[in-house]
Amino acid sequence: MGIHLVSWTALLGFALWASPAAGQDEKNVARVNFERDIAPIFAARCIECHGPDKQKEGLRIDRAASAFRGGDSGEPGIVPGDSANSELFRRITANGLDRMPFKGEPLTTGQVALIKRWIDEGASWPEDGSVDSDQSTHWSFQPIGDPSPPQTDPSWGSSPIDAFVLRRLEKEGLRPSPAADRVSLIRRLYLDLHGLLPTPARVEAFIRDRREDAWERLVDEVLASPRHGERWAQHWLDVVQYADSHGFEMNTPRPNAFHYRDWVINAFNADLPYDRFIFEQLAGDTVGVEAATGFLVAGAWDEVKSKDPDATALQRQDELTAMVNTTGTALLGLTLGCARCHNHKFDPVHQRDFYSMTAVFAGVRHGERALHSDRDRLIKQEQKALAEEIAGLRAQLPSLRPGVNSRQNVERFAPVRACSVRMSIHATNSGSEPCIDELEVWSGELNVARTAIPSSSGNYAGDPKHRLEHINDGQFGNPRSWISNEPGGGWVQLDLAEPVRIDRISWGRDLEERFADRTAVGYIIEVAQTPGEWKVVSGSQDRRAPGEPGGSEEAAFGAQDVIARIVAAEKRGQKLKSTPVETVYAGRLEQPGPTHRLYRGDVREKREAVAPDILSALGSLDLATDSPEEQRRVALANGITDPANPLTARVMANRIWHHHFGAGIVSTPGDFGANGAQPSHPELLDWLAGSLMREGWSLKRLHRRILLSDTYRQASGPNPEGLARDAGARLLWRFPPRRLEAEVIRDCILQLSDSLDLTMGGPGFSTFEPNANYVRVYDPKEELGPDEWRRMVYMHKVRMEKAPLFGSFDLPDAGQVCPKRSLSTTAIQALNLFNGAFVLNQARRMATHLEEQALDPIEGAYQRAYGRSPSPRELGAARAFIQEQSLVAFCRAILNSNELVFIP
Amino acid sequence: MNGFTRRDLLGHMGSGLGVMAMANLLQAEGLLAGDEPKIDPRAPHAARRSHFRPRARNVVVIFCSGALSHVDSFDYKPELIKRHDTPLPGSDGLVTFQGVNGNLQQPLYPFRPRGECGKMTSDLLPHLGDLSDDLCYIHSLHTKTATHGPGENCMSTGFTLEGFPSMGAWATYALGSESDDLPAFVAIPDPRGVPQSSLNNWGSGFLPAAFQGTPFNAAKSVQNLARPPGVTEQEDRATRAFLKALNEGHLQRFEGDTEMAARIASYEMAARMQLSVPEVTDLSAESEHTRKMYGTDDANANKAGFARNCLLARRLIERGVRFVQLFNGAYAMGEGVGNWDGHKQLKKDYDVHGPILDQPAAALIRDLKQRGMLEETLVVLCTEFGRMPTFQENTKGRDHNPKGFTAILAGAGVKAPFTYGSTDEFGWRAQDNPVSVHDFHATILHLLGLDHTRLTYYHNGLQRRLTDVFGEVVEGILS
Repeated sequence: MGIHLVSWTALLGFALWASPAAGQDEKNVARVNFERDIAPIFAARCIECHGPDKQKEGLRIDRAASAFRGGDSGEPGIVPGDSANSELFRRITANGLDRMPFKGEPLTTGQVALIKRWIDEGASWPEDGSVDSDQSTHWSFQPIGDPSPPQTDPSWGSSPIDAFVLRRLEKEGLRPSPAADRVSLIRRLYLDLHGLLPTPARVEAFIRDRREDAWERLVDEVLASPRHGERWAQHWLDVVQYADSHGFEMNTPRPNAFHYRDWVINAFNADLPYDRFIFEQLAGDTVGVEAATGFLVAGAWDEVKSKDPDATALQRQDELTAMVNTTGTALLGLTLGCARCHNHKFDPVHQRDFYSMTAVFAGVRHGERALHSDRDRLIKQEQKALAEEIAGLRAQLPSLRPGVNSRQNVERFAPVRACSVRMSIHATNSGSEPCIDELEVWSGELNVARTAIPSSSGNYAGDPKHRLEHINDGQFGNPRSWISNEPGGGWVQLDLAEPVRIDRISWGRDLEERFADRTAVGYIIEVAQTPGEWKVVSGSQDRRAPGEPGGSEEAAFGAQDVIARIVAAEKRGQKLKSTPVETVYAGRLEQPGPTHRLYRGDVREKREAVAPDILSALGSLDLATDSPEEQRRVALANGITDPANPLTARVMANRIWHHHFGAGIVSTPGDFGANGAQPSHPELLDWLAGSLMREGWSLKRLHRRILLSDTYRQASGPNPEGLARDAGARLLWRFPPRRLEAEVIRDCILQLSDSLDLTMGGPGFSTFEPNANYVRVYDPKEELGPDEWRRMVYMHKVRMEKAPLFGSFDLPDAGQVCPKRSLSTTAIQALNLFNGAFVLNQARRMATHLEEQALDPIEGAYQRAYGRSPSPRELGAARAFIQEQSLVAFCRAILNSNELVFIP
Repeated sequence: MNGFTRRDLLGHMGSGLGVMAMANLLQAEGLLAGDEPKIDPRAPHAARRSHFRPRARNVVVIFCSGALSHVDSFDYKPELIKRHDTPLPGSDGLVTFQGVNGNLQQPLYPFRPRGECGKMTSDLLPHLGDLSDDLCYIHSLHTKTATHGPGENCMSTGFTLEGFPSMGAWATYALGSESDDLPAFVAIPDPRGVPQSSLNNWGSGFLPAAFQGTPFNAAKSVQNLARPPGVTEQEDRATRAFLKALNEGHLQRFEGDTEMAARIASYEMAARMQLSVPEVTDLSAESEHTRKMYGTDDANANKAGFARNCLLARRLIERGVRFVQLFNGAYAMGEGVGNWDGHKQLKKDYDVHGPILDQPAAALIRDLKQRGMLEETLVVLCTEFGRMPTFQENTKGRDHNPKGFTAILAGAGVKAPFTYGSTDEFGWRAQDNPVSVHDFHATILHLLGLDHTRLTYYHNGLQRRLTDVFGEVVEGILS
C-alpha cells in the first residue's frame, strides 16, 4: 500500500521506460494507461510550472486531487469522462496566450488526442493518497483551543486575561502600568461603553465609593444603560455599511432602513446572544424578526438600471457579491470577494465556494417588505375582531334583503323627520366611480328630493351627461346621471327644502337598463334631523350579495340599530385598512432560479450550477440546488453559529477587544485570513472566544470580563521603555489612549452644552436640507436646532456624503465594509471644530448653562469636560483668559481640546 | 491604536526608537509586506520620495462629467461621415444603456486640421484643438461600465463600486505635498454643481481621511475656513493661543505621544490655511491679460465661473499643491442640461457646454506652458466613457459607449504632438493599442515616479492598489 502514497512522479523512473510505444497508436483499442501514457507527458511538459516546486496560477498536476480540482481560475482541471469541460484539455488546445504549455511548442496532436481519450475514458489515475483537502493549516481555521491561563507574577493581575497579557509582556521584558486613577477610569469606561461623559456627580460618587467592588458595580451599571447599545451599535453598523441612502449617483434616501439600526441598538442593549444575533440578521424573517435582515441589504445599491442585459446581470452580481462580502467580513472575518473571479489566493476559499455562498442569497433583492410591527399586528388583530363582529351582527338580522340591482333599489325605514339625506358609497361593482341616475326621497307619495339642493364629495369632470344636478332632476338613465370623482366611493347629499317626515328612498344606476357598471354595492344612507346630526337608516349591510337570488325587501325593516353598528364597525375597518403598513428596508425575498459558477466572474460565462452552501473549509450545509429560499439562509446561519466553526466566536471576541483597546488581538478585525495579521495573543483570543460560547454567547458577559481585568484598568500614561519597545502598546503595557470617533465628539459637545436629546429610536434626523431632485443633492442645513441635537447614531447616514463638520473625522462612507476606522488628524478637522457654527453655538450654550448653574464656571467646565478640578495654574490662566476674552471663548477652547477628544 | 499605527511605529524607527523590537513585533503580526509610504502623523502631507525619478511633480485632471462624445470632438472618423445614416455594421440586436440605436451619425461639428501637426479636431472645442502640438491624444480608452456613477467611480478610483480611494488620494498618500499651507489634494467642483459620483471622485475610501480631496472653487471656499461670525480676530487669535496652552499642558502628561502632538500641529496648519486659501482664491492679482486669456469675466456666467476655476487650478499648482481635480459639468440639473450627457439633442446641449470648457481649459494649458510649469505638471483631460457613433433610435443624441473613448494628456513626460491608439473605423470600439482605465492610471502614477504595483495600502485582506490587480504603463506615450 505504501506505494500509493508516493506521488507518481516518483514512479516515473520505471513507469516511463516500461512502455516503449506509449500510446502512439491511435487505433490501439486498449484503454489509455495513465502511468504509461499520460504521466510522461505531464512530467515532460507541465510539472516544471505546475508541480511540487512551482504551482503557477495555483495549479499542481503531479497529484490527482489537485489536478482534478484545477488552479486559481476555479475551473475544474479534469472532469472525468468530459474532456470538453476540462480546463486542462481546453488549455492544451487553446490558441494565443491561453495555450499550454506556455513555453515551447504545443503538445503534438498525438499527445492531445491521447489526453482527450484518457479524460473521456474516465481519467483513471492510480490512487496516490492525495486528497483535495480543504483543511487549511492557517491558524484561524484550527479548532478553538481551551488554553489555561499561564502562571505569572502574582503581584499583578486579577483575571485570566491579565495572566495572558502579562506573560506576553514578560516575554518582551516589559511591565504593565499601574492602575489608572479613578477619574481616568470612569471617563474611559463611559466614553468606551456609552460614547458620552460621566456627569460630575457620577464621577464624585465613584471616587467616594470605597467598597471593594466599586468598579464592578460601576461596570454593571454602565453596561445596563441603553446608552451602551447606541454606542456599540455604531461599531456594527460600520462593518455592515449601514446608511440611510442607496449610494451611487442618485443616492435616493432609504426612509425605512432605520428599523434595522434600531434593532441592532436594542439587540446590544438586551444582550441578545451573539449566535441569535447572527441568526436573526440572516434569517430573522423565519422567526418574526423582519427588521434584522436589514443586514443583508445594508450596503450600496445602484438604482440606475440600463436596458443592456449584460450590464443588468453584472449589477445583480455586484449586489450579491456585496452580500457575500459583508457576511464574510462581519461574521467570519474572511474576505470572500476575491473568489468571485478565481480561487482565493491566500485563504481556503474556492471560486465555487463563493458561488455557493452567492446561492444562499440569490433570492434576496434590495427593497422593502412588511415590518410586521407591533402596531401592524394589533391592526391585524382588530381587523379580525371587526370581521367577526360584523358577521355576528349580520347573524342578528332576521333575514336579508335582495342584492343591489343596477336598475332601481328601494330603502325603507321607520318614518323620520329629516332636513337632509345622504348616501355614502364605499364600493362599486366595477371598482370605478359610482353612478346614480336618480335619488328619490319619499314623503308618502311625494318625492321631496325634487326641490332639494344637492351637494357631493366630488363630481366626474368633463362629461355633460354626468352632472350633480342630474341627481334629483326627475329624469332617469345614464345621460341624466351623477358620477362621483373617486373610484369606488363618494357621497351625495340632498338638503330638503324644509324638514319633512320621510319613510323611504329609491335610487338606481340606470333605470333604462343600458348600463350596469358603476353600481353602488357598498353604501349607507343617513338622514339628519337637524343639520350635521346624521343617523344611519339603511345600507347595503343587510343585503344579499349582488346577483344572489332570494331575499325580501321588507326583511330588515326596523333593524336600523344593527345596521348602524355594522356601519360603525365597517368604518373602523376602512380606517384600519387605509393605515399604511409599516415597512423596513430588509430585502425582498423570493425563490431564486439556479446559481451558476461564473468563469472569471464574467456574467456571460456561466458554468455548472452550484448548491447553496457555506465555505467548504467549514463543512457543508447539504442543501439541494433548488432548496427553498429561506432554508438556505437558515442553514447558513446555523453553519456560521455552529460551535465547531473556528472563526465566528474568535472574530466577535476580537471585535469586542478591538473596540475596548483600539486594536484587536488580531489587528485586522475583518480579515482572519492569511493576508490578515497574526494574533498578538493567540491563547488569549481562544480563551475569550471559548468563554463567549460557554457563557451563552453573551456579549455583555464578555465585556464584563474584559472591563474587570487589570489590563483594562491600567494607566494610559507613557513610559520611555514602553514607547521604545512597543510604541503602539500592542502588548498593552499601558491602556492605549486614542482620539475619539466623530460620533463621540459630537455627542459629548452636546452633552457639555446641556443640549443633548436622549430620545431613542425612530426615523432619526437629517443635517441636510430636504431635496427632491431626481439625483439627490445634499446641502448641509445652515442652522441646526434641537431637532438635530439627538445622538449621532440617529443622524441620517448619507452614503458617500460627508456629514457636515464631523464627516472629516474619518467617518466611514458606507461604500465598503469598515471593520476598522482609520483615525487621522487633519487641518480640515481643526477648521471644522474650531470655526464650525455648530461648535460655536454649543460653546455659547455651554457658557450660558455654566452661568445658570451658579457655580464657578471654570470649575464647572473642568468637572464636566475633564472630570476633574483645574490646577491652580490652570485656574489662573483660565480666569485671565475669560477676563480678557469671554466665557464663550473659553468654552470654545475646551470643546476643541485634546483632553476632551482623547479617551484617557 | 489607529490607522497610523504601523507607519507611526515605522516613523519611530526613523527616529531611532526601538527599531529591532518593533520590527520583530510587526513581523510576528505578518503585516510588514509591501512598501507602503511612511507617514508621520504630525505632518501627513510632508513631501515624500517617489519610487523612482518622477517626470511630473503635480497633476491637474480636467474631468468632463457626463461622457464627452469623442466622435464629435477629437476622434476623427472619415468613414463615419461616408457611411452617415446607414446601420452600424455588427450592431444587429445591439442594446446599449438606453436601448436600441439608430443609424450611424456623422460628427455634429466639422473637423479640420489644427496646429502645425495638423491634427484633425472638431469645431466643438477649437481652442483645445489649436493646442494639438502640445497634446497627446489617447483614442483607445475603454472602461467597464456604461453607467455614469460607476463610470466616474472607475475613472477616479479604478473601481466601479463606491468607497475606493481616488487617484488624488493615492497620489498624496504616496507623495504628500510641496505646500505646507494648502491642502495636498484639491477638488474644484464646476460652478454648476457636483458631478455624478460627487465625493467619491475625490474621496479617500479606506485610506486615512488626511488624503481625501478638499473641495472648493473660486466661488465657494473651503467649508468652515473663515473665522465664525461674531468672533473678533483678536478673540480668535487669543482663543487659539489658549487652546494651544491647554493642549500643551495635557501633552506633558503624555510625553512622546505623536497623535496628540499631531493634533496640535493640525491647528497650526489650519491657521495657515485660513490665510493661504483666501489668498489663492483671490484672482484680483492676476493681470488683465491673463484673466482675458481664461475668460474669467466672460458674459457667460458658467464660462466665467469655470474660467476662474481653471485659473485657480494654476495658482494651486504654482503653490505646490500635488493634485488638482477640476470638474467640468454637473449632474443635478439632469441629463445633458449641465453636463456632457447628450442623449436626446446632443448638438443643442454641446453648443452650450463646448464654449464653457474650451477657452478656459486651453488657457490653463497655455498658461502653464508659458510659465514653464508644464514641464513638471501633467494635465489630464478625461471623461467617464464615450458615446456611440450612432444616434439613439428616434433621437438626436448618442447613447453611452464604454468600448472606446478619448483622453488627452499634456505636459510632464508625455510625447506631444502625439496620437496613441485608435478606435475602429466608426469610433465604436477601441481597436489598436487598447488602453484600459487601469493602464491609464498606471501611466499617470508612473509619470509621478510611482510604480502602481508597489503603491499599496492594506485594507480588509488585501494590499489594495489604484489599479486593482491590472494595469500596464502605456510606454508608447512617454517622452
